[in-house]
Amino acid sequence: MALSSPASIGGGTSRAMTAGLTGKSFDVKSKMVEAALVLTLAASMLILLVLIVDLLATSWPLWTDRPGDFLTGSLNSANAQSAGVWQGIKGTLMLCLVVMVVAFPLGVACAVYLEEYSSGSRFAKWTRINVRNLAGVPSIVYGLLGLAIFVNAIGGFTGGRTVFAGGLTLAALVLPIVVITTSEALRAVPRPIREGAFGVGATQWEVVKDHVLPAAAPGILTGTVLSLARAAGEAAPILLVGAATGLLRTGNQSFVEQLTGPFTAMPVVIFSYARQPDDAFREATAAASVVLLALVLLMNALAIWLRNRYDRKW
Amino acid sequence: MNLPKRHIIVGAIALTLIAAACSSDDDTGSTDTTAAEGDAAESDNTDTATGSNVSGSLFVSGSSTVEPISIAVGNAFADANPDVAITVQGPGTGDGFAQFCAGETDISDASRPIKPAEVETCAENGIDFVELKVAVDGLSVITSAENDSVECLSFVDLYALLGPDALGVNNWSDATEVAAAVADTVTDLGAVHTPYPDADLAVTAPGEESGTFDSFVEIVIEEVGDELGVEDANVRPDYTASPNDNVIIEGVSANPTSLGWVGYAFVEENLDVVKPLQIDGGEGCVAPTPETIATGEFPIARDLYIYVSMPALDANEALAPFVDYYLGTGIGELVGPGDGQVPYVPLSTEDMAEVVAVWEARETGTREG
Repeated sequence: MALSSPASIGGGTSRAMTAGLTGKSFDVKSKMVEAALVLTLAASMLILLVLIVDLLATSWPLWTDRPGDFLTGSLNSANAQSAGVWQGIKGTLMLCLVVMVVAFPLGVACAVYLEEYSSGSRFAKWTRINVRNLAGVPSIVYGLLGLAIFVNAIGGFTGGRTVFAGGLTLAALVLPIVVITTSEALRAVPRPIREGAFGVGATQWEVVKDHVLPAAAPGILTGTVLSLARAAGEAAPILLVGAATGLLRTGNQSFVEQLTGPFTAMPVVIFSYARQPDDAFREATAAASVVLLALVLLMNALAIWLRNRYDRKW
Repeated sequence: MNLPKRHIIVGAIALTLIAAACSSDDDTGSTDTTAAEGDAAESDNTDTATGSNVSGSLFVSGSSTVEPISIAVGNAFADANPDVAITVQGPGTGDGFAQFCAGETDISDASRPIKPAEVETCAENGIDFVELKVAVDGLSVITSAENDSVECLSFVDLYALLGPDALGVNNWSDATEVAAAVADTVTDLGAVHTPYPDADLAVTAPGEESGTFDSFVEIVIEEVGDELGVEDANVRPDYTASPNDNVIIEGVSANPTSLGWVGYAFVEENLDVVKPLQIDGGEGCVAPTPETIATGEFPIARDLYIYVSMPALDANEALAPFVDYYLGTGIGELVGPGDGQVPYVPLSTEDMAEVVAVWEARETGTREG
């Protein structure tokens, strides 16, 4: 931008400039708008704060009473005293694993094709619009899709109501998000990097593999981790796919057996505990919510760390 | 450009960490098992029939009313047998039988006997079953704890207030005429308890998908409807329905002159906000208590069952020990009014002996149809 308007300059400068131009020493209107904005910010922060404080306060007796027990206990929605979240944590991480293995390569490949191989074509534009629409489809609809396809149609392959089917459903859910964030990351790579590589005789694939993808990696990874966090927080689709809500004991099943066996996940654990009439389950519900919040915040923190650690400015 | 592949690799490692976290929990899972073994030794003392060498995976589904029993028993069984994997679900009796007859589950929980149509579906798929009664559940008709104007309702009152003719009745007193008309024909299901209060009638109760709904319709509404000559009498459709007993309790407690029904277990935990009404099924007003429900004196009680799949019994070696445990230590120690027990009413000793005999003989088919 060669020409700067007052509005595009930082706060202090623009205020001084406006004051100079209008001859007023104090702009009441601007101050009022600023105050209103601060208020809205405070309101939204307050909601978050109240939520977290309330969850911690409600679950506090449980955390002081049997924290280890709760974290390593099984899903049990009949007895609040032996209710735990271990199966939920395990299920959520296994779901994330399936989502990552499926959605990450697929999504990145889609985005690379759309941005690097056919960026100007009508097909790419059309596909991009559709991918954006897909990202806005409500998660419950993906749940129905998962039930119809991954549980029923190819149940012989996925084993029916299993982690595998649930993971595939969530992968379908976050795939458009991975495509979009990867596309953004690829588009943020400056043109001269590609032109320079083409200039010394690199092929299209070499340009993508050696220059564009490494440069876009921080953005791609951030987007992927954020979409994993989204998948970790979804309850509706995996409830439809058949996550366990009552009792789940996996005994000493192997990893593969668990992957193709009954499963549950943190949001489903919270759902199961929240609908119990027993008062003692309120603590368990709040405590399970704290665990899920911690899991999701950890993932988000990882995304921020990845971005800050590897981000490049041009 | 100074952007080596290193960056991709480091990033990939970061993502792999998540993957590693996923796969490593398998090892950590064994900590869980070790912890369970302590309990196992304890449980073994109380039930010698249960060896800790049983292995396999069990899938129980069906009634959300029976679910707490199956969860409690399943959890104790898994504690005693660390090699057993077990899943319990409670989507509802009807959904449970659909899964059961498709061969998806080993045991189906039910809050009513299996229906002839369901028996047929099971037969088509070659699923024989053993029907076992495990406990009794009293249904409670409830109102807000603040409601002093109603103490006892008969089946006739319930039909007038909640039956098909009550459609659109938003005030208790508006049901007076219907009640009088019904009482003219139906004389053996309790007297009319008019005058009804001149107050809002807000009904919150289980939705159609619930076994508690079915039981109420079958025990109360259809019973009165049959005598009236009304075919397939059903509950009025204009009420607040929820599959969640907690929501029903909340709905009933929210309005001082509300009406609704839930399983007795949920009432016992919420006596501070809701009041269970005495019920007159023709032999006078009876309050729901564990004793009146067990003896059958309280008129709205239903039997709870588990259905064991015969094909699964052949295929799954963990199933027979599990059912042994279920009928023995399981409901013996885990069902009852005590602390930490599932709050249903246990069967009498004679009834229990009969059920065990049916199981030992693997008598298939339903005895309740």
